[in-house]
Amino acid sequence: MRRLPIAAMAAFAVLAFAYPHLVDAYWRTVGTLAIFYAIVAASWALLVGYAGQFSFGQMGFVSLGAYGSALLVQWLAIPFPIGMVAAVLVCTVVGAGIGFVCLRMRGPYLAIFTMAFSEVLRIVILTENEVTGGAGGLEVAPLFHSRTVFPYYYLALALLAGSLGLMGMMVASRWGLFFRAIRENEQAAAAAGVKVVRFRILVFAIGSGVAGLAGTFYAPFIGILTPDIGSVDQMGEVVAMAVIGGAESLPAAVLGAFFVEALFEALRAYGEWRLVIFGGLLLLTMRFARNGLLALAWEQVLRLGPVLQRARSIGRPAES
Amino acid sequence: MTALIEAVDLTLRFGGIVAVRGLHFAVQERELVGLIGPNGSGKTTTINMLTGHLSPGSGHIMLRGARVEGMSADRFAARGVGRTFQITQLFSRMSVLENMLVPGLARPHSTHVAARRQARLHLEFLGLAALEDLPARSLSGGQQKLLELGRALMLEPSILFLDEPFAGVNPYLRDEIIRLVQALHAEGRTFVIVDHDLEAIQRLVQRLVVMSRGEKIADGTVEAVRGDAEVIRAYSGV
Amino acid sequence: MLDYILVQALNGLVIGVIYAVIATGLTVIFSILKIVNFAHGEVYMMGGYFAYFVIALLGLPPLLAVLVAMLLSFALSVLFERTLLTPLYSPTTERKGDYGILVTFGISILLRNLAIIVFGPFPLRPPSFFEGSLVVGNFVMSWDRVFAAGAGVVLLVGLLAFLSRSAWGQALNAVSQSRESAAIVGINDRLVYTLAFGLGGGLAGGAGALVGPIYALSPSMGLVPDTQAFVIVVLGGMGSVGGSIIAGLLIGVSEGLFVALFPDPTRSLAYAQAFSLLVLMGVLLVRPTGFFGRVHVAME
Repeated sequence: MRRLPIAAMAAFAVLAFAYPHLVDAYWRTVGTLAIFYAIVAASWALLVGYAGQFSFGQMGFVSLGAYGSALLVQWLAIPFPIGMVAAVLVCTVVGAGIGFVCLRMRGPYLAIFTMAFSEVLRIVILTENEVTGGAGGLEVAPLFHSRTVFPYYYLALALLAGSLGLMGMMVASRWGLFFRAIRENEQAAAAAGVKVVRFRILVFAIGSGVAGLAGTFYAPFIGILTPDIGSVDQMGEVVAMAVIGGAESLPAAVLGAFFVEALFEALRAYGEWRLVIFGGLLLLTMRFARNGLLALAWEQVLRLGPVLQRARSIGRPAES
Repeated sequence: MTALIEAVDLTLRFGGIVAVRGLHFAVQERELVGLIGPNGSGKTTTINMLTGHLSPGSGHIMLRGARVEGMSADRFAARGVGRTFQITQLFSRMSVLENMLVPGLARPHSTHVAARRQARLHLEFLGLAALEDLPARSLSGGQQKLLELGRALMLEPSILFLDEPFAGVNPYLRDEIIRLVQALHAEGRTFVIVDHDLEAIQRLVQRLVVMSRGEKIADGTVEAVRGDAEVIRAYSGV
Repeated sequence: MLDYILVQALNGLVIGVIYAVIATGLTVIFSILKIVNFAHGEVYMMGGYFAYFVIALLGLPPLLAVLVAMLLSFALSVLFERTLLTPLYSPTTERKGDYGILVTFGISILLRNLAIIVFGPFPLRPPSFFEGSLVVGNFVMSWDRVFAAGAGVVLLVGLLAFLSRSAWGQALNAVSQSRESAAIVGINDRLVYTLAFGLGGGLAGGAGALVGPIYALSPSMGLVPDTQAFVIVVLGGMGSVGGSIIAGLLIGVSEGLFVALFPDPTRSLAYAQAFSLLVLMGVLLVRPTGFFGRVHVAME
């Protein structure tokens, strides 16, 4: 994984901070939503791209976090941060549980299992509408007195920074090596002394916890929560975002989420066709640029480097 | 003297087939043992059991006197049991150095600095130092085999199981592998080598164990085993 | 009460035949291409719409419409296979299992949303193939259901015969066991892959066509059988056609019984689906490779 140059990261941070002041309210909301998706996409990239654990359950954990925190706050009248922490804990534990029971499952079976888990959750939420509001939706109290998007945006940004920081640290450390080793060849990883069981469970726990965290943010932000958040189509959006960006890199997945979300809004005029376009983009990316479109673009940019250097050195006297 | 590793009455069935039956097999510290036998005799299954990749159906495995059967492969590795695979199993998209760092950093109390130093030392020993940043999949077949050996060495193993190290290997590389194993053996490491290349095995090992159809049929010095009628029968497929 | 249970069980059997057809399509694709086709439900959905439009626009009789729908589904699947799945056969493609999952998942998104645009998001109720019902004593079943079950059985029998008797069928079997050995014997494995994916799609499309008049068509109708098909294939074993058939029937009947016996009628339908999903999860937990199937083998 290439280390992003500090300059680029700093520039990005400045841009992210300034963004809401540069655009109108509509795009502020879009930006906040994009950050939400970025957090989920990054957690998916960690699980699937980095550790090779093919999970289609991320949105299930998002909905678990969202409904969990919203309902806890509603019933127990606890302050939102406590509800958030509790919901994230539940998601982490359930995620670890899924990681544990799936230890013997590989690839497509894991995908099917996690997809089934998400669907069961969605059905239960939909059907038990006395508790959850079902298809009509669950109203969630807003977090801030201000009626604008600004505080939500900055909260989302903080959560993104926090989760990227956490996952990034894991990935940069020896744990990142172990995850990749497990992805490349689980048998060899075990023979090399990597505690495969522990790390598979761990990556599931973290991935689910982060997704749940995104969910706890989503609930008050969106105001009305519906079971659709855990649907296959939503999962598909997140998958498209991570794959188009670059599924094996956390920053690429984040950028993929921004890119897809921006495209989504920019193509508003096309209505339903947008999802078709994203499906198509996903397919094109898989077929021709497996590491992600943005990763491909980045490589092209890197290739320009030596070309630019040569261009600069023409016209300079040769050094003796 | 307690054996370094010992198989006691190991049996394993796959479905209806008995892969290994009633195996008794002990390896002492600093031995160089060859494990041979016709295809399907259960050699790789035995190695898989002795390295934790398979659990025996019945019987014990003792590592320095402690019972270890049923433990996972990574726990065997943590206890100093290293192995290579019949078909090279590398982390193909990771670099050569990273392949070495995985076992290096998996050991408790290891530091990045020390693991890196250790990895480079081993790579130097194996002649792969110049390739350290290349992805493992871009190495030649022979280089990959050496890298796999290096990866096992990073565990600081007291015993190394090599599964068909000479398979499909050109004579130059074969001699190189023999030289490396002899050097490592001289340092005090124990080896169990499975292979079909009888010539290479005979140059290397002091003791030969022969398996056929899941059972051990001979165990002794190279000369003794070569003359053993049952061994000859097993190999000629009678 | 017993009558009610019996009726539900028989309805379940009819659905079970349809499930079996869908599941065997998935199994054929899995045994030969070694991927799980996440777009299977969407081809099923397209089959339903194909049949509807063929009847509405060309006035074809039901049996012919179903056959045409199957052919169109076959063609659609072949199109996808040729354009998107060929990297599966190349030695330079890595993590083929993941590729198969992501690409077929992408196809499902594409098809489902395309259907929403072209056909509209609301359910469409095609006219019955055959009016009226079969009445035997207390037992009543619409002719459409009888036709669906019968046609489904014909399809299954036909498939089994094809696989065991015809040259192409045996080629399919050969490749499912070992691609390299099949190539040595002179079987063109690329054609076999195309045939397998097309055949799987054709079966799914046929099932969709048969089911249209019974359950109505909608662009998201593929999602439910998607997961059902997985349940069945995992239960029956990925790679075993016979197992898929048996499991399909079992799931259909047990679903019918579940609906009949679940204490809360307002929830029973919704939870019936969750029930099969829980069965799926349960089976995967106990036997990660299904009951009758061979161990999961990646494409060589």
